[in-house]
Amino acid sequence: MKNTKNILLLFTLMLSFTVVSQELSVESNLEGITLKIGEEFSPNSYAVDRTGKKIDCAGVIYYNKKGVFSRADGIIVDRDLGKIIANKPGNHEVVALCVSQDGQRLSRTFNVEVNYPKTKEIKIELGGDKIYSDTYVPLNFEVIDELGYKRDNVLFKLSSSNNVLEVDNYNNVKAIKPGSASLEASYDGISANIKINVLKNPVTKIEINSNLEVARTGDVVEFKATGYDSRGREVNNLPFEYSFSGKAVDKTTTASGLMLDDGRFVAEIIGDYLISASLGNISSSKRLKVISRGVEREIIKVGKGVVTDKHTSDFWVFEGVDGRDYAVTGTWGADGTSFFWDVTDPSNIKKTDSVRVDARTVNDVKVSEDGRISVISREGASNRKNGIIIIDVSNPYDVEIISEYTKNLTGGVHNVFIYDNHVYALSGGQRYYVINIEDPANPYEVGMFEVGKEGQSIHDVWVEDGIAYSSNWRDGVYLVDVGNGIAGGSPSNPVAFANYDYPSGAHHATFPFKSKSTGKFYTLLGDEIFPDGVDENNPNITAGFVHFVDFSDLENPKEVARYELPGQGSHNYWIEDDVLYVAMYGGGVRIVDISGDLIGDLYRQGREIGYIMTGTSNGYIPNATMSWGAQLYKGYVFYSDWNSGLGASKVSKLKPDTSKENQYINNVPLID
Amino acid sequence: MKNTLVFIYLLSINFLLSQDYYVYVTAESEDEVSLIKFDGEDAYEKEKIQVGIMKTEIEGPHGITVGPDGKYWYLSLAHGNPFGSLVKYSTESNRPVSKTKLGLFPATMEISPVTGLLYCVNFDLHGDMKPSSVSVVDPDTMTEIKKITTGSMPHGSRISPDGLFQYSVAMMSGELFEVDALSLKVNRVLNLEPMMHNDHSHSSMMMHSSVEPTWVIHHPSDNFVYVAGNASNEIIKIDLKSWKIIKRVKTGKGPYNLDVSKDGKYLIATIKGEGKTGVWRLDDLSFIMNIKNSGSVSHGIAISPDSKYAFISLEGRGGEPGIVDVISLDKLEVVSSVEIGKQAGGIAFWKMED
Repeated sequence: MKNTKNILLLFTLMLSFTVVSQELSVESNLEGITLKIGEEFSPNSYAVDRTGKKIDCAGVIYYNKKGVFSRADGIIVDRDLGKIIANKPGNHEVVALCVSQDGQRLSRTFNVEVNYPKTKEIKIELGGDKIYSDTYVPLNFEVIDELGYKRDNVLFKLSSSNNVLEVDNYNNVKAIKPGSASLEASYDGISANIKINVLKNPVTKIEINSNLEVARTGDVVEFKATGYDSRGREVNNLPFEYSFSGKAVDKTTTASGLMLDDGRFVAEIIGDYLISASLGNISSSKRLKVISRGVEREIIKVGKGVVTDKHTSDFWVFEGVDGRDYAVTGTWGADGTSFFWDVTDPSNIKKTDSVRVDARTVNDVKVSEDGRISVISREGASNRKNGIIIIDVSNPYDVEIISEYTKNLTGGVHNVFIYDNHVYALSGGQRYYVINIEDPANPYEVGMFEVGKEGQSIHDVWVEDGIAYSSNWRDGVYLVDVGNGIAGGSPSNPVAFANYDYPSGAHHATFPFKSKSTGKFYTLLGDEIFPDGVDENNPNITAGFVHFVDFSDLENPKEVARYELPGQGSHNYWIEDDVLYVAMYGGGVRIVDISGDLIGDLYRQGREIGYIMTGTSNGYIPNATMSWGAQLYKGYVFYSDWNSGLGASKVSKLKPDTSKENQYINNVPLID
Repeated sequence: MKNTLVFIYLLSINFLLSQDYYVYVTAESEDEVSLIKFDGEDAYEKEKIQVGIMKTEIEGPHGITVGPDGKYWYLSLAHGNPFGSLVKYSTESNRPVSKTKLGLFPATMEISPVTGLLYCVNFDLHGDMKPSSVSVVDPDTMTEIKKITTGSMPHGSRISPDGLFQYSVAMMSGELFEVDALSLKVNRVLNLEPMMHNDHSHSSMMMHSSVEPTWVIHHPSDNFVYVAGNASNEIIKIDLKSWKIIKRVKTGKGPYNLDVSKDGKYLIATIKGEGKTGVWRLDDLSFIMNIKNSGSVSHGIAISPDSKYAFISLEGRGGEPGIVDVISLDKLEVVSSVEIGKQAGGIAFWKMED
């Protein structure tokens, strides 16, 4: 042992010398280079020591610092040819990694500039039919270079041939007086012109009307302006500009709302508003009184089925074959248990049975329409086969596992749905399979749907009226015919017929919704975002919101509104009779009036009927509300909470009891 | 190389004085990593590190390795949307430093002491029977610089002691891949199926392996690698000079991970299906014994650089906790165990110290 120690001590001293003596850096002909699009360049890199002595690398590995994904195609490294190829204009970082002769690894990042091709063409188009004096001119620009690329964010030099048009420092163009002018846009030695005819404003008077004189917050009021000439004749097709101002009843806040270009307005705050329509220097205004929506109701907590030793996941409430009411809940990050409950008396929720399967997470649970079959999802099975478990729940006091099904589902099933004797089961977060369960002991696959894009990803699927709504993260919602007939689809031949995505790419759950009050058809698309990561033992920050997408025109869906609770993101939700029941994680279950036309920020419009903080003192994590989902069932709002289990509440017909409120709370009167 | 030398230097000093051993272990169904300290008698969880981003999704920390300089550890998160990712953590703070996206179900990985690059297999465990890849990442910039196409369900990424080659096995296509760590190209492919020619080039025809290899480990000094045949219940010895299988020895049910002691004495295998750890003499692959683990579903192995202890991760089933067993290679018995989060999997030795 002593000899060993001596040898090691000697070795460490030798290493000390070696470490201190090695001071190398990378030099390369990549330094300061500028390339043209399409140009190939053969880099030559080597190491130098402190004295400047050149040392060849045993090997050099070059790479684009953006990596290998498609976004990194600005510079392509061809290792077979030993070249880099300039593919897109801009500044790119190329790393030269030199493995020196003595095995020392060195690297250095070089900036490689790739020049933009010369501009070939500038296109200018007018954004409107007619331009009137004293209005701003709507213009669209497009710059195309010699290689056919479109250039964005180009700062043109704009100039007018005369004083009919005025151009400010930010290239806003205003029509000053009637006449004709040539507007020139120039950039990179190329210029383009457009002739603009400015008409005299024909309007001498504007009338503005609305469908409501007094509105509640959240009510969409339709304003319509009509212009008349000096002879009192109506002038058609005028590009009115609508705006609003207002004073809130509460002097400490701001009258706010959303005004759309078509004259629709929604107010968020109680107060007096002035809606204006203008064309050039002619304008007219109309007052609008906005009162409280007055939808707040008392929410009564009715009962709980607390799960004290595990996280709870999703749930489903159903009517059993015996006519009583039951629920099933899953568990998360635990031992694969699902619980069954008798909820016939929501004030006395009783656990009836449980099943434990080889899994760590039973993320989703569903029950067939006839109350006989439950399907639960598996993740974290010890044999890594996961899949789904089919359970006979015709006697919820003695449930029995009928079968397991794992084919094509080994990657874990995060969510499932049962519809018309078929299970729609997610597979590995990439696609969903359709499994026939007419004979639940012998399930078999009949179909599959996937978006078909590289990196396709899915989080949830919901089926209603023969249409499957899949939530595909960055690819948004896909509406797929699985038997509705709208696109000739069936469970064995799912056919996608509509899609909507949005920039954040956080699309996590979908609920279809046909408004009873307007007849419009929406999909509600929820985000799932944890901006600060996770802490399983403490409350968490969540973000994102519910996107309201008007799908009335399937080929032209429009995102029109949002429900965003400050500081809390959304999870799962339910809609019935134009009321949204949405689990907002730490914000509890929120009950929201979504009647009427929907535009703007619904939370700020005072549409909230009430809320339920779903944490309990004896929960798995006490008093830490983490609402997972909500379901309205026979008049009760059932919910599951990640930290507490199952619960039921009731929305009272009464206004909230304010008798116990602090006397110093300055309640805003409902009507001023 | 300099960092490596510094690390070896520090390690050498440590060896003269130390008795404490540190390993990082993943808990795949808990989204946690545990830092385990073993003082020669008892092992305990020194720190529990929450990993992942989405609270309501299991992101599945699977593979883990510590960089040659000991300053950072690297973790593969198997699940994403849909791609998994690689996260770099500081060993000083155990907090994340940087992250990059990889392929489908990134799993095991190791860093070459020569190129300094990290080679991580994209296991694509639940994917179709088609070739997947090895992601090559520069851990300095955390850039994925290349995806090298290999076989179906590649696993067990390990680097040769000279740092010049990366080895992995394709579980479904039953192949051993040798990648040139410098050129970043597949150098050689060996079919591991019995009763077949072993020297054919990489076949494009995908078959379902009867071997289902899950791990490969290089001999600490000689030109051999050893492969765990998870389905064929065997350990396969390959001569790298001839690129041929030279020995197959039977094991218990489901050998999964392998490791060899630096002193060249032992080959250790987790016998996943039996909850055991098997021990063989490395020189002739003669079987010594199976050691019953403290739990079920034996998974990963990390042998201390002084060849004294093997740290074994045990997944468990369902709600059972994960476990780390410490096996004394002198006594060939479990000398300590510690419970951690569910589904303990990837395990990496960090350091010894006083």
